[in-house]
Amino acid sequence: MLKAEVNELLTQTGAGTPTGELFRQYWLPTLLAEELPENDCPPVRVKILSERLIAFRDSEGRYGLIDEFCAHRGVSLWFGRVEECGLRCAYHGWKYDVTGQCVEVPSEPENSNFRRTVKLTAYPLVRVGDILWSYMGAPESQPELPEFEFARVPSEQTYASKRWQESNWLQALEGGIDSSHVSWLHSGGLKSDPLFKGARGNEYNLNDLRPFFEVAESDGGLFVGARRNAEAGKYYWRITPWVMPSFTMVPPRGDHPVHGHFWVPIDDHNCWVYTFDYHPTRALAPEEVRAMREGHGVHSRNIPGTYRPMENKDVDYLMDREAQKRGETFSGVRGIAQQDASLQESMGPIVDREKERLVSSDTGIIKARQKLRKAVEALRDEGVTPPGVDPTHHRIRSAAIVLPQEESFIESCRDALTAQPGVAHTSV
Amino acid sequence: MRPILASSCARAATAEEARFRIDRPIAGRKALILALDADAALVVDRVAERPWGAARFFHADALSESRLAGELADADVAIMIATADANGELAAAIARACVERGIMTAGLILGEQLEVAGAVSALRPYARNLMVTDDEEDVAEVLRALRA
Repeated sequence: MLKAEVNELLTQTGAGTPTGELFRQYWLPTLLAEELPENDCPPVRVKILSERLIAFRDSEGRYGLIDEFCAHRGVSLWFGRVEECGLRCAYHGWKYDVTGQCVEVPSEPENSNFRRTVKLTAYPLVRVGDILWSYMGAPESQPELPEFEFARVPSEQTYASKRWQESNWLQALEGGIDSSHVSWLHSGGLKSDPLFKGARGNEYNLNDLRPFFEVAESDGGLFVGARRNAEAGKYYWRITPWVMPSFTMVPPRGDHPVHGHFWVPIDDHNCWVYTFDYHPTRALAPEEVRAMREGHGVHSRNIPGTYRPMENKDVDYLMDREAQKRGETFSGVRGIAQQDASLQESMGPIVDREKERLVSSDTGIIKARQKLRKAVEALRDEGVTPPGVDPTHHRIRSAAIVLPQEESFIESCRDALTAQPGVAHTSV
Repeated sequence: MRPILASSCARAATAEEARFRIDRPIAGRKALILALDADAALVVDRVAERPWGAARFFHADALSESRLAGELADADVAIMIATADANGELAAAIARACVERGIMTAGLILGEQLEVAGAVSALRPYARNLMVTDDEEDVAEVLRALRA
């Protein structure tokens, strides 16, 4: 249960809101690099943290993320032309560079200074890995670039996708922290999904549906350990890290690539889910990449030309009751990603957390909300930089491991939970 | 096939439709909060001063076996609070009593991760859900979230 005022505090991310200001302390995934594939390619409309923006890539390969609307008459620059190092409005030809500076007003004299007085809001947009990241906070507080391992390994070792989720970011994130649903909602995928199946850990998962949970703090957020019985005297641990504000990693399975998510608010009723898969020590196999593109693993199959999943709310998520009856899927919805999204969207755009009935296995969610609230208040009241801004907090991993019963996962997995270039992840 | 009513399909998950959700009072958890050592007892005493629903607070070492059994009779969750000095035997006795009655067990261990490693090991077998935190306020936070 969460009081209505705290629910509001944590779910509203527009400009000037406390949690909106929190998000504006971080570099956030804003586009896939594939959305701006070449110099002078078409611009892309972007809505993030309730701000309407336009992204483009100029003639020299610089990325720009600026106010979507022309300063002149307020038309959308999406209709504009990307040409000669700028984005030119289709209406009267006003032209802007990647910093939002107006560089040409055709109706004014050529030597007029007027254009210098016109500047649109602009945010830095940079490529790290397959993601374009933006920073929407105060320029003087701009942090170092992200160092998440999935974005730093060579490109042949990583794959990223994205999907539109029609719910507030927080209930989506909470699904990533709550691993207790995996043995139920995703049980079908553990047996059949090409990016999951075959791992010894799956057997532990399916043989013990009542895991014990352990929550421990990390510098950037939390580690949530789920333990199940393994062989005599041993536990099978699956450890999920959360880095503030909204990055989580799923514990790996066998030698499959390891995956995770970054939930980014579009507005208070929608979010983008950036999903990645990578392997720390080898290139992804062609069949693995094909499976990811086809929406297996934690990726979605999207309507061609969009980032909207085929299994969306307008089509009842293509509910397949026969597959549900046969046990191929637990909920009748195809794919891990949309199994999660369908249930999280069914809560409503912003779930009323005053009406929920949490149990003690929700401790990870309870602690995450508390950490978020404290960080929001400390930033608002004292200007304290929140956890997860420092790029050293990004150098974490998830892990799956069998340990003697008396060992602490935090102590035993210190190395396993730290990203180490060229070192394989710890997986069962 | 197009649905006849918005409420007959997944499109009903709108903010507007939320007002048709059935609203009724939600009962809180009958939580037993048990301090396992002297420092934890101080925390539990402080938290107990706040207004709670059905939550009941005890120093575990002051509870006889029969008193514990009586208190557990109508409880549905037992939350053990510990610091570095956690009494593992006490935790085991509480956990055994809870298992017999089908009562969920949870543990909150207060202190720095390294300092409380022994307490974590002691409680691990007995608490289905365990949280290590250096923030005393987490005790109240968890109880509030559970409607204790």
